[in-house]
Amino acid sequence: MKKERLIALILGCTILVLFVLMSAFPSVFTHYGQKEMFDSWLSPSAAHPLGTNDMGYDIFTELVYGSGQTLLIGIASSLIAMLLGTVIGILAAMNNFAGHVFNGIINVFMLLPKLVCLIVVAAFLGRSQIATILLIAAFGWVGTARAVRARTLKIKNSVFIENCVIQGYSKVHIAMRHVLPNLYDVLFSRMVSSVSGCVMMESSLSFLGIGDLYNPTWGTMINLAFRRGAFIRRAYNWLLVPGAAISLLVLAFWLIGLAVKKREA
Amino acid sequence: MRKKYIKNIIVCVVCFLFIILLNFALPRLIPGDPVAYLTGMDEQSMSAEQYKFYRSALHIDENAFVQFGYYLKEIFTGGLGYSFRKQSDVAAVIGSRIDATLQISLTAVVISCLLALVWGLAAGSKRGIVDKISMPVNAIASTFPVFLIGMTLIIALSFDLKLFPYSGLNSPDVTQGGAAYFFDRIYHLILPVTSLTAAMLPSRFLLMRNTVRTAMSERYVLFARQRGLSMHRIRYSYLLKNVAPPFATMVGMSVGASIGGSVIVENLFSINGMGSLLTDAVYALDYPLIQGVLFVSASIAVVSIILTDIICIIADPKARLEGRK
Repeated sequence: MKKERLIALILGCTILVLFVLMSAFPSVFTHYGQKEMFDSWLSPSAAHPLGTNDMGYDIFTELVYGSGQTLLIGIASSLIAMLLGTVIGILAAMNNFAGHVFNGIINVFMLLPKLVCLIVVAAFLGRSQIATILLIAAFGWVGTARAVRARTLKIKNSVFIENCVIQGYSKVHIAMRHVLPNLYDVLFSRMVSSVSGCVMMESSLSFLGIGDLYNPTWGTMINLAFRRGAFIRRAYNWLLVPGAAISLLVLAFWLIGLAVKKREA
Repeated sequence: MRKKYIKNIIVCVVCFLFIILLNFALPRLIPGDPVAYLTGMDEQSMSAEQYKFYRSALHIDENAFVQFGYYLKEIFTGGLGYSFRKQSDVAAVIGSRIDATLQISLTAVVISCLLALVWGLAAGSKRGIVDKISMPVNAIASTFPVFLIGMTLIIALSFDLKLFPYSGLNSPDVTQGGAAYFFDRIYHLILPVTSLTAAMLPSRFLLMRNTVRTAMSERYVLFARQRGLSMHRIRYSYLLKNVAPPFATMVGMSVGASIGGSVIVENLFSINGMGSLLTDAVYALDYPLIQGVLFVSASIAVVSIILTDIICIIADPKARLEGRK
C-alpha cells in the first residue's frame, strides 16, 4: 500500500514539475520563438516535434508557452476559490441565522448549471484573463465550502473548542486560531482537486472560444485547431495533443491527491 | 426525511429566483449602457430617436423595482424578451432549438445514471477485483474533458472507420416524419450522446459506489447474508431500494450539468441546439438571447430537481409514512 502511494506521488509530482518548468523556462524546452513562422501544416518531424499549424507556428512551442497560461489561470482561480470556500464554509457552520443563510448560498450554488452561468457572465464581463480567473473562482468555491463546513461542524463538537468557549475566547479568535489550523488536510486535498476542476473549467470555456485570445491556453489551441479545419487536414497532432496535455495535468493533480488522501487514513 | 426533500425544493426555488435576479442585474450593473446590452446593438449604430425609443421601451429610466416588475411580467407572459438580432421573441428562438439539446442531454443523463447504478452496485457491494479495477479506471476517465472524448470518437469512428456521421442531427436527404427519419436521428445521436455519457459517467459511478459501500455496513445486509441470500438478490432487492433515493437525487442534479456538457458537444458535432445557440449569441453579442438561454437551462435544471424530490416524497416509504403511527 505504501509503495503504491509513493509511486503515485512521484509520478504526479514529476508530471507537475515538468509542466511548471515548461511554464517557467519555455526557452529551455523549445528553441523557437513564440511567433516564429515556418511553412504551414507541416506534419511532425525532428525539427518540429508536433508539426506546425495553419499560420506556420510550431505547435510544440505553442504548447510549451500555453502551459504557463493554463497553470496560471488554474492555480490563481483555485486559490481565490479556496479562500472564498474556506471563509463561506466556516461561516456556514455557525448555528445562527447568518449560518443558515450561508449554508443556503452553498446549496443554491450547488444547483446552478455552472458552465452555462459561466458562459453568460463571461459574455457580459468581456474576455480578459483576470475576468476569466475571477469568474471561474466565483463558481468554483462550492465544493471547498461544503467540505470545510462538514469538517468545521465536526471540530465544533470537540472538547478543545468547548474549552475555548469556556475560557471566553471570541468567535473570530476560535475560528482563526483553533478551527482553521485543523482544516489543513481538508484544504490540501481540496486544493488538489480544485486546481484540476478549474483547469477543466477553463479549458471548456476557451474551447468554446470564450477566453483571452491574447494569452492562449491549451483550450484556446484546441478551439483554433477545431475552427481552422484541423479535422479536414487530419492534423490530429494539433487537435488532440493539447487535450491530452490537459488530461495529463489533471491526472497529475489526481495522483498527488491520492497520495495525500491515503496518508490521512 | 420528508423535511429534507422539502428543504431541497425550497433551495431550488431560491436558486431559480437567484437566476432571475442575476439576469435582471447583469445588463444594468455592469459598466456600459444598459440599452446597448438589452438590445444587443452598438451605441454608435443607433440613431438618437432609436435610442430614445429603446430607452423608454425598456423602461430604463424608472426605478429599479418598477423595472424588475416589468422584467418579471416579461418572463411570465412567456416572451422572455425580444432578440433584436434575430428579429424574434427569445422564447420562439429557443423553442425551435431546444428539442435537440434535450434529446442529447436527457438521453445522456438516463444512460450514464443507469450505468452508474448497475456498476456502482457491482463494485460497491463487494470488495473484489471489480472494485479494484473500476476505481482507477474511472478516476483516469474523469480526467478527459468532453471535447477530447468527442474528438477522439469523431476521428476514430467517423473519419477512419466511417461508421457514424460527424455532424448534424439528420442526413439532408431523409424527409421529416416516418420511421426512416426516426432511425436516422438515432444514428446521428449515437456519437454525441456517447461522448457526453462517457464524460458524465465517472463522477456518477464514484458517487453510487460510495453510497452502496456505506449502505453495505447496515445491519439488514448482514442479516440477509446470514440467511444465505445470494449476492445478486441482496444487490437488487435490498440495496437497490435503499440507494434509490440518493440515486433519484443524483439524476435530478445531473440534468443541469448535462446541459452544460451539451453546449460543448453541440459545438463539436455542429448540432443546432440550445448550446450552439448560446455560443453563437455570445459571438454575436445578442445579450437578450444569452439571458434567455440561461433562464431556460436554469429552469430545466431546477424543475428536474424539484420533480425528483417530489417523486422521492411520494415513493420513498421513509418520507411517505412519516408521522403515521
